[in-house]
This record gives sequence, structure tokens and C-alpha cells, in this order.
Amino acid sequence: MYNLVDLTDKKILVVGASSGIGKQTAVTLSRLGAKVILAARREDKLMETLALLEGEGHSVKRFDVQDTDGIEKVVNDIVAESGALDGMVYSAGLGTALPLQQTKPEKINQVFDVNFFGFIETVRQLCRRGRFNPGMRIVGISSVASIRGDKSKTAYSASKSAMDSAVRCIAREVADKGICINSVAPSMTATELYTHYLDKYGEDSETNKDLLKRQYLGIAETSDIANAVAFLLSPAARFITGITLPVDGGLTTC
Amino acid sequence: MTEKEKIALIEETLDLDEGTLTADTVLDDVDEYDSMAKLSLIVMMDDEFGKKLTGDVIKGFKTVGDILAVME
Repeated sequence: MYNLVDLTDKKILVVGASSGIGKQTAVTLSRLGAKVILAARREDKLMETLALLEGEGHSVKRFDVQDTDGIEKVVNDIVAESGALDGMVYSAGLGTALPLQQTKPEKINQVFDVNFFGFIETVRQLCRRGRFNPGMRIVGISSVASIRGDKSKTAYSASKSAMDSAVRCIAREVADKGICINSVAPSMTATELYTHYLDKYGEDSETNKDLLKRQYLGIAETSDIANAVAFLLSPAARFITGITLPVDGGLTTC
Repeated sequence: MTEKEKIALIEETLDLDEGTLTADTVLDDVDEYDSMAKLSLIVMMDDEFGKKLTGDVIKGFKTVGDILAVME
């Protein structure tokens, strides 16, 4: 049977694979045949993800995206151990909520270090000769927050907008190398962030009811996002680059 | 940190004039104590005291004194 999203033996790095969307993406990619390199700050959490993967040939790498100066070495090590890569998913992210008066420069830097600078540096290091195979595909996990305003989300939204802007620019720059780069913009997804959200506002709160009214297909499962990422990583998406794909249960139609 | 300094920190966090609050002030009587103010308290408590406030703890705050009790 023809498999549209066939990732057999594709070597794909998933940054932020220890939890949430990154964790599910790693599992989904393994089910589609990929050899997944799990990367995140906490190796113990990565081992939990590793245990969920299907197939053989996966590996784990400690990767602290906040240490931007150290990213070159980590990427070098990964390529030395696994060979040139066919794909990368950047799912490391801080969902920090900061009211304006708490949005101090050091706080903005913390959010941008993880959500944006780590992304750019990882992409920059991967897009160098010998580190990628022809047709490499990159997907950044953005957010609908990149195009929507919300209280306390100045730093977070700006960091996601920055990612989407960068994707458009980088797509043009790396096209000659045969690399495609896109981002996926989920709305509220059933991760720890949503648990914190419910803890803060309550399931029966007007805030949550209002969210569900706008996000009318309900709260996304992490697999909903992972499926979109898998498609963008597959050869079936070869003609798609520089876009941000909303995976938002209808939110941005409201 | 003295109680006076803690109250000053709460006033600064809630963007209130100095001397607005006492330990007995009822939070429901403070117009500025809204959802963003509560979020600011969470950030301040994490930054200054290394404490992670949950929604339930925040909901339990009735007076400024209740906030002071966890500022240590």
C-alpha cells in the first residue's frame, strides 16, 4: 500500500523530545520508520520517550538550547554519531506568562533564548556542508500566539512571531541547498501547559469556556500536531517551504 | 525582609501607591487585584522567594496577610 508519509530510515533530530508535542512527535516519527535522535536538557526524561519509540536505531542526546554557544558541539557530535541528518524538529519552548510589568529584559531573554535563539542556532549549525542530506526538512513548533494577541503573552508571542519570520527568510536562503523549512502553529494542546492553564483558570471558568468556543474543534491532542509535523518532514511536502501551518481547531478562523 | 518591605514589594507588584496596603487589607476590596495582578504575584514569588504558587494557593488568598505568610 502506498504510504504518503513514509519516513523509513530518515534520520531526524527532535529537539525538545522530553515532553509534550516534541515527545509525541518523536513517537509518531518512529512509527513512520524514522531513526529518531531525541534531544533535550533532561536525559532521564528522554529515556522515558525512548522507551515509547517503535523500531530500532534511535538515540538520545543531552541538548541545552539555552547554551547557544554549545549548540555547535552538540550538532557536531550528533552528526559524528548518526551521520548527516534528513530532518529536524525544534519543539523546545517556554510558554511563560508574564504581565507587562514583569516583562523585564532578562525575562524576555530567557524566553527568546529557548524559543528563538536556540532555534536559529540549531538551524544554522545543521545547514552546513556535511551535516545534512539532500532534501533535509526542518519544522519549528510555533504557536497561534504568533498572530494573536493575549494578555501576559508579549514575550512568548513575540518569540513565536520571530520564529515564523525567520522561517520565511531562511526558506529562501537554504532552498539552493535543497532544504525546506516550515513551522507549525498549534493552538491550545493537551500538554502540561494546558494542565497549568486549567489549574490557573479552572475547567468551568469563563476563560476556558471562551477558549473552547473559539477553538471549536476542541483541545488538540499532541498527536494532532505530530501528524502535521510528520507530513511536513515527508517527501510528500517537498513543494512546501517557508510557511507556518496552523493546526488550531479553527481558532484562527474566528 | 521585614513585613514593611514585603508589603512594599506587593504594592510594587500590583502597581499600587506606597502605603495602600496593610496586612489586614481584604484583597476583594482592592480593584487592582485582578487576574493579571495574580499572575504578577506568581512571577514575583518565583523570582524573589523561589516559590511556585498554584492556582489553588492564589484562590486561598483572602487578605494581604495571607500573601505575607508565604513570603519567606
